[in-house]
Order: sequence, then structure tokens, then C-alpha cells
Amino acid sequence: MSPGRFTGLVTVAGMLFLWLPLLVVVLFSLHTTASLSFPFDGFSLRWYERISESPEVRAAARNSLVVATSTALVTLVLATLAAYGMSRSRSRWRAPLSLLFFLPITLPGLFIGIALLIAFSRLEYSLSLVTVTVAHLVYVFPFFFLLARAALERLDPALEEAAADLGATGWTIFRRVTLPQVWPVLVGAACLAFALSFDEFIITFFVVGPDPTLPLFIWSSLRRTIDPSINAISTLLLAFTVLLFVVTFALTSWGERRRRGTVDPLVLTGAQEPR
Amino acid sequence: MSAVAEPPAASPARAPAPRERGLRLGPVLLTLPAALTLLLFLIAPLAAFAVYSFLTGSLYEVSGPLTLENYREIAQSELNRKLARNSLIVGLLAAVSSVVIALPIAYWLRYTTSRAKTLVLFLIVASFLASYLVRIYAWRTILGAEGVINSGLGALGIVDEPLTFLVFNRFAVTLALVHIYLPYVILVIYAGLGPLQPAYLEAAQDLGAGWVQRWRRVVLPAVAAPVGSALLFVFVLSAADYVTPQFLGGTASVMIGVQVQVAFQGTGDYAGGAAISFALLAGFLVCYGLVALGLRLARLDRLRFAS
Amino acid sequence: MSGDPRVRIEGVSHRYGAVAALEDVSLDIADGEFVTLLGPSGCGKTTLLRIVAGFERPSAGRVLLAGEDVTGRPAHKRATNMVFQRPTLFPHLDVFANVAFGLQVAGVGKADQRARVREALELVRLEGYERRRSHELSGGQMQRIALARALVNRPKVLLLDEPLSALDLKIRLDMEVELRRVHRETGATFVYVTHDQREAMALSDRIAVMNAGRIEQIGAPTDVYRRPTSVFAAQFVGDANVLPVDVVEAGDEESTVQLGDTRHQVRCPRPQPGPAWLVLRPEAVEMRAGTPEETPGTLQGIVRDVAFRGTGFGCRIELPALGAQVKAEGRGATPPFDVDDEVGIDWRPESCWLLPRERGDDTPPPPVTSEPESDPAQARA
Repeated sequence: MSPGRFTGLVTVAGMLFLWLPLLVVVLFSLHTTASLSFPFDGFSLRWYERISESPEVRAAARNSLVVATSTALVTLVLATLAAYGMSRSRSRWRAPLSLLFFLPITLPGLFIGIALLIAFSRLEYSLSLVTVTVAHLVYVFPFFFLLARAALERLDPALEEAAADLGATGWTIFRRVTLPQVWPVLVGAACLAFALSFDEFIITFFVVGPDPTLPLFIWSSLRRTIDPSINAISTLLLAFTVLLFVVTFALTSWGERRRRGTVDPLVLTGAQEPR
Repeated sequence: MSAVAEPPAASPARAPAPRERGLRLGPVLLTLPAALTLLLFLIAPLAAFAVYSFLTGSLYEVSGPLTLENYREIAQSELNRKLARNSLIVGLLAAVSSVVIALPIAYWLRYTTSRAKTLVLFLIVASFLASYLVRIYAWRTILGAEGVINSGLGALGIVDEPLTFLVFNRFAVTLALVHIYLPYVILVIYAGLGPLQPAYLEAAQDLGAGWVQRWRRVVLPAVAAPVGSALLFVFVLSAADYVTPQFLGGTASVMIGVQVQVAFQGTGDYAGGAAISFALLAGFLVCYGLVALGLRLARLDRLRFAS
Repeated sequence: MSGDPRVRIEGVSHRYGAVAALEDVSLDIADGEFVTLLGPSGCGKTTLLRIVAGFERPSAGRVLLAGEDVTGRPAHKRATNMVFQRPTLFPHLDVFANVAFGLQVAGVGKADQRARVREALELVRLEGYERRRSHELSGGQMQRIALARALVNRPKVLLLDEPLSALDLKIRLDMEVELRRVHRETGATFVYVTHDQREAMALSDRIAVMNAGRIEQIGAPTDVYRRPTSVFAAQFVGDANVLPVDVVEAGDEESTVQLGDTRHQVRCPRPQPGPAWLVLRPEAVEMRAGTPEETPGTLQGIVRDVAFRGTGFGCRIELPALGAQVKAEGRGATPPFDVDDEVGIDWRPESCWLLPRERGDDTPPPPVTSEPESDPAQARA
């Protein structure tokens, strides 16, 4: 049932709508003057030079890297274990656990941020990058869990049963049968977790301490002056996360191709069973 | 998701002890670290948050006996009602707009045979990764009086005065929110269309249905559940947003999330802020319940398509 | 206009990119006929059906329904209805709403809907199933509902795209009987697509044998079976032994052919002298036990395989002198031969048929394996 011209046009318009604003940010990051309006005076890299020299930008970027890496690694371990456990179990705890694991997606960041703020203040634990990492962990968990569980459920259970029949026990089965099949998806999900953490603002706003992450730094810069150096930071942030996505996509495609010989985008994102 | 076949129970011939089967016995135990983490860092804080709403707040502290005073204040507050109404409107507008725009795009993605499909999917998922803040900033610089649109129109000589209606109002807030959530909604509906093979649409067409009828009788019912969840998702997250209204909303369109943020970081009225938050949460839960009930009654919640 | 055929396909060609799916196909189907498009996967039969239905627009040619040119008309505006390979019942609707779908789209009143749905369900012998949901039905039941859903609209032309290929054998045989009955009772024109030649012969008034985008032969089942016009048709419709022979005497009623050392009579009027293919159906092969001396005038062979089939038996016989194999079938509870027995092969002059052969072409093409055709457009989705 070929889609008509109308849906095609809406799609083009939609893509323009999604990307033009972002491309405008990129465009003005290369502006020679400090103005953010037309007419366009010419291209220059001065804003990038300025932010690369700024110690605050470097510190914020470093903080974001540290937080994102920690978030990704911890989530990798916790969520993979959880997804593996859920997919191999028939326990009646599965339903409430599922609810728990998906809860952070359903809650507005406002609530998660404030709840954690209250918790930390109650425990008299001062806000720092650690509190930020904890918050990101909670936020990112459902995304990773979703992808990991989808990938694990797509595996043929007969392979693990065959291994068990040959005498392998749990950890060995996981290491030698399960992991070799799903590791591309797991790495991809870890990259996604990293990117989501790197970008996160709404929850971070409440639990950040004296060391800002990059989005927080952008926010505080906005309070001061609005100039293209913000565009430059934003462009770098955007480029970094998109690059990460391309790597993720390539990795998971390669993993799917190894397994099945073809790639279906829906299957990759875990949204659908392979046919 | 396919149900994973349980491994056969220990056969009489071999009868291994349960331990020998390793992970098989209590795989659900593997979820324990994650579950504990979430319980500790999500459920417990939320519980504390809930308790706060029943206490008395002042200057970043809470104290005193349990009371319903906060909730009573909310119910009587004119300001809160106005904010809530505004949030409701913005939330609904953002949700409905996202879905209406996403439906044709998801349809195109699902049924096109063009090679552009991979490119479009890439564009959608990549835009998904653009930071929230970068988007807000982008719209602010575009819609402002000295922003891209106005300066562009001015440079082209189309307008003499900058168009002020573009920003600092509900329109700008909704626009930015749609921009943020559109990729997610497209992907959810696209996934929902997965099981709806083209053969169903051909069958409908063969039975005399033109595109209007096909959408009304086959496509929309098939994606009713994903559309419902997408509507809820965008509504809840938009209504509770506190950054976008501050940045793009101006004074006339403050939303309730802002009130909460101000309570916690501004006035320090933790208890009051908590009460508003939980009143909001209760409202959201009611919405979730209504949508789920509606889908169940219409028997659209768990459709099984033949492969 | 009353003289027009119910369906006329005129010079239809269709390409998918560089691939030609149909080449200049023409066919007239009379009112009330049951015509089957028969062929292996990829022969274009499903494409042709979809063009008649209106799901594809042919690259060239016309389609006329009752004299009216509908080539440019989309499917929902044609007076045809289709039964698909898979039932595709709408899962969000119960059986009643599924069957009434076309009526509801057309704005038929509620009372009429109820009456006609009941009528359609009676036709497929599933009365009382109105409130059921598709996941409560078996495969065969779902296809019958799909049939009812198509027929309730009283189409003049019913198109069926391999509707039985997804069903189990026993159910398929029952459904064949049902289909014949429904065809008789409704008097509609049926255009049927299948790769199963047995099904085609059981159901049709006429069969159009298709290969590589063309119609090779059209005729009643007996004609196509007894008088195939090509080696392809001979091998695709029923089993066939195809042996290279030389026509040495061409007579008006009977001719003589040379096969190896022996000569045989063939009742085939006026063949061309020279090389030819001899088409011999397995059930026409006569086997005589004994050594060459005991069985003069027959082809010498050794039995290589014997299979019991309930209603009879099948044999594979190797003819060492010719380097060929022959399949034979016979009735009887016990096969009269064992593996490694020596036999002599013969046949009656009227039980075989001759087809043209190129000089030097000594090996018949291998029979085409047939599988349910997957429609390219569907496969892409």
C-alpha cells in the first residue's frame, strides 16, 4: 500500500521542522560577529577558539564526560543483569518489577529531580557530581533496560538450553552463549545511555552541586550574555551525541547483520520482533 | 515479545540438584541490584516527597505535625488554578499536535518502498538525541524579536516591524515542546504500525474503502494503543515542564511546573511545592487510568495481527 | 453491453524496475466461469490478478470489466472482490463487523447488513459466528470468513490469490469442495491463482498455464492435461515422462516414432517428421516383466524404485540404453515389481502425445518446482 504524496510531503516538512532550528544554531556558531540575526556577516571560527580556551567550558565538558561514563557503565551492569533476569524468568514478580523499571520514563523530570533533592538534603549529603550520576542512573535505566530486554528476548532459547544440556552453568552460559550474541546491542545501548546522560538537563538542574555539567553550563551562560559562543558549545554537544549515535547504529547494524543477514530498523530499536 | 520457553524440568535420569542449573533457578534474583537501586533512589525519595506534602514548609525546611493545609491552600488558590489550566491547555495542544503531525510521517515510514526511508529514520533518531536545552535555545534565537525569523524577514523587506507574537506566549512554548517530543511520537506510532501488514490495507481498499475510510476503520484502530500512550507521554511531560515556559513563555503563560521549581529553589516552601507536585501526579494518574480504561472498553488495547 | 466478456485482459505487460513480470498477456473470461491462473512462483500470475483487482497499474495494456475500461481505476472503485493468501481479518473487529465491512463502507443500512451477513455466513457454513473474534478461529474458518467478507458484497468477479496454500492438506481438500459449491450457488465469475496443478484441475472450467510472464496454454483441464502444447505445460500440469524421439513416418491418424532401437506407434495426427518430444503420463506406462527376449518391441529397463501409495503404486524405471528414467504408476494393492527387476516398457498409441523438438536438444528441461508465490510488492513491505 504505497503512501501517497501527502504523507511524503508531511515527512519532508517534518524533517525540516526537526532539523532547521538545530542547523540555525550550527550556522550562527560560525558567525564572524556576535549577532544572532540576519544578515549573515561571514564565517569564522572565533567562537570555537574562545570556548576551547575557556577553562570553565573545559571543566564542564570534563564533568559531563565523567558523569556520562559512570552512568553508562553502572547502567550497563545493572540493566543487563536485570534484563537477563527478567527475560529468563517466569516469576510473578515480573509485572511489578517491570513497572518499577519503566517508572522513570513516565515521570516528569521535575519530580525525579526534586525527589532526589529532598532525599539528599534529608541525608545531609551534599550535592556533587555523584548526586548527578545517581540521578542520571535513574533516568537512563528504562531506556537501556528496554533495549537490552528486547535483544535478549529475541535470542533463541534453544541455544542456552543446548549449552545447559552440555553441562554449562549460569555464568558460563551467559558468557559463552548469550553475550557473544547480544554484545553489539548492549554496547549500543550503553552509548545511548552515555548520550542521554550527556544531554540531560531537567533533572540535573536540581541535583547539581558546585561543578556544572555542560548543559548546566550553557544554562548559566544564558543568564549572562547570549552570544554565538553558546552556539559553539551547543554545536559541539550536538555533534558529539550524533557521532555517538552513528557509531551505535553502525555497531548494532553490524551485530544484526552478523546474526540475521539483514537489517530492519524496527528490530534494531527493539520495537518489534524479527519476522 | 515471544515468551521464552522454560527449560525442561530436571529429567529423572539425571536429577541434578537445583543449584547445578545455575541461573535457571532464580533468574529473577539478577534483577535485585537494579531493583534495589531504583527503590533506594527513586521510590524512597518519592515517598519522602509525598510525606513532605503533608508537613509544613518554610525556608528550605519542613516541620511539624501532619496536616492537609498545603492541599487546602492549593485547592483554594486562584493562581494555582490558573496555572493548572494553562498547563492543561499547553499539554493538550502539544500532545495533540505531536500526534497529528506524527501520524502521516509514521505512515509514510511504514509503507514506503523508497530508499529515503533509512535516511529519514536516521534523521528522526538523531534529532531525538539533541539536548533539550539546545532546542529551547534554538527556538529562542529563532523566534525572538531580533531572532532569525524576524531579521530574515526584515532583511528580505517583507516586514517593517518585528513580529512580536512569535515568542513569549503559549504558541512558542507549544512549538518548542512539539519539537522536543515529535521524534519520540513518530517512532512509537511507527512501531505500532509494524504489525499492520499492507495486506490489511489492501483488503480494506478491495472492500471499497478510500483513504479516509481506511484511516478511520483500519489504521487508527490499529494504532489506538500506541497513540494513546504517546498522547499521555507528551501531555504529562509537557504539562509539568518548567524550563520551556520560563524561557519562551513570558509572563502570560507561566505553567505549574514553574511554580514547583520556584517553591523548591526560590521560596523554599518544600511542603507546598510537594503538595502541588503530588496533586499533579494524582491528576496524571487519573489520565493514565482513563486512557487505559477507554482502550480496554473499546477492545483496542491488545490487538493480535496475523503474521 | 451484453456481448462483452465479464473480464477482458488486453495486451497487459508489467515491469518491476528492470524485471518484466508480465509480457503481452491477453485473456477473456466469460460470465460465471471459474478460470485458474496456474504456474510456478515468479510466473506473474499473482501480478496479473492484482492488476485485475486494481492494486497495480499495468505498464501497458488494458483491463476491461463488462466492457468498461477500468485500467486506471483504483481497487476500491472496482466491482471486484479479493480473497487473499492470508485471511487478513481485522483483529479489532468481530466476525460480523469484518464481513459487513464492505457494506458499512458503502453505507448499507443496519437491517440490510444483518440480513446479508447472515446470508454470507450461511453460504460458507459458519452461521452464528457473528460475535467471534479472529483469534478464536482456525485457519480454515478464517479463510471462510474472508470468503464471506468478499462475497457479501455480491461481486460479479471474485479474485482468489492462492487462498488455500496456507492451510493443511485435509482442510484444503474440504475447502476445494466448498469453493466449487459456492461458485455454483453464487454464479459469480471466479479468477483463481495457484501453483498447485491438482487444485487447478479439480476446481476450474478453464486453466491458463503461465510461465515467465506469458500464458503458455489455455483450455479445459482435460485438454491441458491430455494435449499440452509445450513441454513446460506437460511437466507442470500433472506428472510427465518426456522422451526424445524421432518421427520416421508421419501418417494422418497414426505415426511411427523411433526411440533407441525400437519403434512405436503414436496416435498424433500429422506431426512434423524429424525430432520430437514424446509425452507419456505415468499412468499410461505399461510394464511387462521379463528379459529383452521375452518382451520384444518394448523399451528395456530396470526397476530402480517402487513406492506404495495406498491407492496404487509408483515405479521409477531406468532405461540404460537410452540413459533416461521413466515414471510409471499403476493400480493394485501389491506392486507387481521389485527393485532390480528387468521390465519392458510399452504404451498404447492413443495414450501419448508429441511435441516439437529442436534437433540436438536431447535432454528435457527439468520440471519447475512450484511454491506459493510471494508477491514482490508484499515482500518489500
